[in-house]
Amino acid sequence: MRWDIHYRETWLHRTNPSLKLLVMMSIFILVLFLHNPNVLINLSIGLFLLFFIYTGYPLKYLLLFFLPFFVIFVSTASSMTLFGQGTTTWVQWGLVHVTKESFLRGMHLGFRALTFALLGLIFSLTTRPVYLFYSLMQQLKLKPKYAYSFLAGVRLIPIMLEEFQTVQNALKVRGAGHSGTLEKVKRYAVPLLSQSIRRAQRIAVAMEAKRFSNETKRTFYYRIGFSKYDLMFLFSMIGIIMLSYYAATVFPYIPVTDVR
Amino acid sequence: MQTTKGLKLADILTTIVISIVFGIVYKLWGPFYYFVKPFGLHVDQLIYGMWFIAATVAFLIIRKPGVALLAEIAASSGEFIMGSEWGLEVLLYGVVQGLFAEAAFAAFRYKQFDVFVVSLAAIGSTIGSLIMDFYKGYIEALAPWNLALFLLARFVGAVLISGVFASSLVKALEATGVTQMVRSASKEDYEQLDR
Repeated sequence: MRWDIHYRETWLHRTNPSLKLLVMMSIFILVLFLHNPNVLINLSIGLFLLFFIYTGYPLKYLLLFFLPFFVIFVSTASSMTLFGQGTTTWVQWGLVHVTKESFLRGMHLGFRALTFALLGLIFSLTTRPVYLFYSLMQQLKLKPKYAYSFLAGVRLIPIMLEEFQTVQNALKVRGAGHSGTLEKVKRYAVPLLSQSIRRAQRIAVAMEAKRFSNETKRTFYYRIGFSKYDLMFLFSMIGIIMLSYYAATVFPYIPVTDVR
Repeated sequence: MQTTKGLKLADILTTIVISIVFGIVYKLWGPFYYFVKPFGLHVDQLIYGMWFIAATVAFLIIRKPGVALLAEIAASSGEFIMGSEWGLEVLLYGVVQGLFAEAAFAAFRYKQFDVFVVSLAAIGSTIGSLIMDFYKGYIEALAPWNLALFLLARFVGAVLISGVFASSLVKALEATGVTQMVRSASKEDYEQLDR
């Protein structure tokens, strides 16, 4: 999502969006099978630096974006720490059973969530949706009818938010009482969904009337290619990963290499 | 209009726009989820099922093969683009959850649209999310009583939200009449014309 915040364009913004997505997906899968907490901690530090220095946003916004991730870290780590299985007991208090193993596993999960969050945040802060979908069509051969539907959908978000406000005001004016969460979701969802469906139908008809078709040979307004920034991105990611592994073997923080 | 195999532009566009509405819900559900999490004992798992709802609602509205998968992917992409707290993982979760929901609908050859099938799809998505959690969250390493509670809460929540609630939501939408724009004409419609 592009926020109306002034930001500096960095090399991360100029990287090819498809390449960026694929590389980040690979790191994601790598982290899913990574069980060494030392490597993971290094990796999250590396990504944190990348996020902090090269996304090009002002410091206060970076901190603001980062706040929820801290909550995620704590909440992800807590249930494994408190209720996980293990042999070396630290604290036992009622149902709570903290062991050395469960604590380490909990911390590992926290860092893992942090890594995923950082990958996602770096991507969404440095990628314009329009370029992403144009690049997906050109490099990864995504069918135009999917890509343009997405783009049209993204453009509808502000209208939806406006409608959300309208519904909110309408409910207030009519003195709608308090209700349960699901009832509330329904009150908002029915008008928002029905209007969206009508709008989507109209857009589809308009697109077809203007001869939008599924031809494979088509021209693009934005031509997205590759540049030296892509190499830079690729090497910096490989560098971060290799450094993480190297530092973990040379200067391990904890003498545990597998948290399972 | 020529009849093409697969989804037409109008179907895709409608599915994606519906999914983006749910993408916003998914995004807002995140803070709500970690707000209830500190209450402990996996209360949060009861509301986890909201993240499966795009697939079931979109399928109930459009009733075509492939819609459930597309909807779940689109909703998670929407959540991702808006900057989800979980970052990249929502994309992969979305794909897996969508696949399992789609499988449930496919098992009935896309011809049944009642609460039962929708609940089955919700259960399918739950299984999908659990497979991901198994790799990501080491859930098998939780104490057995705790794991049982975790699983129970997630399944119950999924059936209630993405099964029962989703079909009541679509019933309410049917009352507005918009679903008739998107569904292809059924046999009953033609019989009505003959009368």
